[in-house]
Amino acid sequence: MYVFVCEDSLEGIFTGVYDACASRLGHRNIRLITGEPENYELFSEYIHVTPSDEKTGKVIRTITSRFGMQFYESIYQAALSGERHSVKKMDKADAIYETILLALASGDGQKVLLSLGEPCVYRIFELCRATNREACHHLEFLRFSELENGVLFATIHPKDNVLPYLAEHFTDRLPMENFMIYDATHQTVAVHKASMRYILTDATDLDLEKVNRYSESEQEFRRLWLTFFDHIAIEARKNPHLQMQLIPKRYWADTPELSRFA
Amino acid sequence: MNIQQNMSLMEKLAILTDAAKYDVACTSSGVDRKGNGRDMGNCIAAGICHSFAADGRCISLLKILFTNECIFNCAYCQNNCNSDVPRASFTPDEVCELTMEFYRRNYIEGLFLSSGILVSPNYTMELIYQTLYKLRNIHRFNGYIHVKAIPGADPALIEKAGYLADRMSINLELPTADGLKKLAPYKSRTTILKPMRQIQNGITENKNELILYRKAPKFVPAGQSTQMIIGATPESDFQIMQVSEALYRNFDLKRVFYSAFINVNQDSALPMLPGGPPLLREHRLYQADWLLRYYDFTVSELLSDDRPNFNIYLDPKCDWALRHLEYFPVEINRASYHTLLRVPGIGYKSAERIVKARRNTTLTFSDLKKIGVVLKRALYFITCSGRMMYNTKLEENYICENLMADRTQIPKDIRNSGYRQLSLFDSGMLDESTIPQSHIIASEMTASH
Repeated sequence: MYVFVCEDSLEGIFTGVYDACASRLGHRNIRLITGEPENYELFSEYIHVTPSDEKTGKVIRTITSRFGMQFYESIYQAALSGERHSVKKMDKADAIYETILLALASGDGQKVLLSLGEPCVYRIFELCRATNREACHHLEFLRFSELENGVLFATIHPKDNVLPYLAEHFTDRLPMENFMIYDATHQTVAVHKASMRYILTDATDLDLEKVNRYSESEQEFRRLWLTFFDHIAIEARKNPHLQMQLIPKRYWADTPELSRFA
Repeated sequence: MNIQQNMSLMEKLAILTDAAKYDVACTSSGVDRKGNGRDMGNCIAAGICHSFAADGRCISLLKILFTNECIFNCAYCQNNCNSDVPRASFTPDEVCELTMEFYRRNYIEGLFLSSGILVSPNYTMELIYQTLYKLRNIHRFNGYIHVKAIPGADPALIEKAGYLADRMSINLELPTADGLKKLAPYKSRTTILKPMRQIQNGITENKNELILYRKAPKFVPAGQSTQMIIGATPESDFQIMQVSEALYRNFDLKRVFYSAFINVNQDSALPMLPGGPPLLREHRLYQADWLLRYYDFTVSELLSDDRPNFNIYLDPKCDWALRHLEYFPVEINRASYHTLLRVPGIGYKSAERIVKARRNTTLTFSDLKKIGVVLKRALYFITCSGRMMYNTKLEENYICENLMADRTQIPKDIRNSGYRQLSLFDSGMLDESTIPQSHIIASEMTASH
């Protein structure tokens, strides 16, 4: 068995897919994993994949031209998933590799994505669903604070790498605002300057002290928001269990309503 | 009336949020609008909820009244002119400021503006229109706006507001005209239905205009909705659902909302509900409402004069299926989409996935599980390639008992001993406690099979 060890990123996985296909070792003898395995198998050969722009580009071109954007989007979403590598479940890189192979064999990507009976396709479906859900939750629960210099700043702790999706959404929504979204899990930042495109960069240069200095009116609007939050609830229908079900605990810390959750 | 001068924005917000909270419609759905690269805001058709209040209801829009200084005296409403609550009014600028500042912090999806009747319906509608005008044209707000049309206001004002809003609604308040006459003497069916019809016609005309000229201004693009108070007057579920069906059919409404009655004014003419608002009944009505809108059911299939209320133990779809076992079992690999929709445990998304997936392969029960079908409900009603999942009988009592044996299928209120509303319903169902132990064990055995 040959195991291709990929970096946990879109580039890493797609380069892995490219290398695996090009290696001519026989699809049945190949497995892909993201990140170093916890235990090395005795009779497997481990091949480390160096991410390459060129190979990634080739894979993307092949997928989009043959199977369409929708297929690519599913694969892309699955690749952004932050689910930990585990023995029980198929690795996302492996699922992507096998699904692409199935699509290449049948020629119809859409059809392949519907055959949930295939373990790899079902895995893609699961990962997509999870990433999508995480992205939607962040559209809901992400909160901006206004800093001294008028910049809007938000901190998030997402499981999956949903920052590109969020940056896209908020660029469309707040075109004339300067804003930054800081992904503390993946240590990346999306920076948007008024009426420009956003950029994604890593968070090493971010001054965490500076982003805690809020503008004068910030506290006032937070108080107004909490007033609204408290008064909109109907006492006779109180249901903390339902509330907790709908806004899971891990999102609480990044919202100003934190103090109001039981 | 207790009108205070010089109130702070914080106090006003507290009062006018309290005054607006009994309105249920808080969705930001129905319209997809991209940002235009200049103004603040966009809209997503599915709607976005930004938080959840202590009662578990979503907070999507900044839901406030413009004023609660109301001249009407509707008995069910806490803002009626006879009740002793603090009064306040916003100015249009205050509403705009709150909306813009909340929106850019991603607290809300937009504004939900309703109002008590200050001075006269026209005066109030004019104020609401001014607020929307400022928000759209001065603050350049491009997000979601849901606005109430004030019953009795000049149609011209309603039309002007409609071009600025995404959704408009006029509350039907009570399911029947009699109830309305009794509890809301200043409102009448005509003053409610007339603007509703006007908005409906406006939307239809606007659609035709948009075909001719793509850039014509849009009139209420997310459609209109309404709400009814449940449990204040003695209507049956059947009557309520018939009203909803008529509204969907004749007025093209997007949504009808149901609001479990809460006796806020402790009015002696209204029912006292010691067990709290009829939440389970409200829940069943919403379930049936979805069956109407997404599952091609008609009200006459679900209820009749003999069975005027929903079963408290079973959801309306399960209840229907048990009374129509002649349609079952359904073969998953052949049945039409329409037939699949009627199977308990199969939602419209699963039904869509089934129809797509079976083009390439023959579906099995494990495939169905992956697709998202709730097999513990569906298994009594379906076959895959001619086989049932387990050896089950197609018999009303048998299925019913097995469904109930799974305690999670029974509403929590009933599970936690004695639901307060029990007396309102005719319970033709077996009492949960009388289910023989042997059946529960039997179903567990089949489940582990």
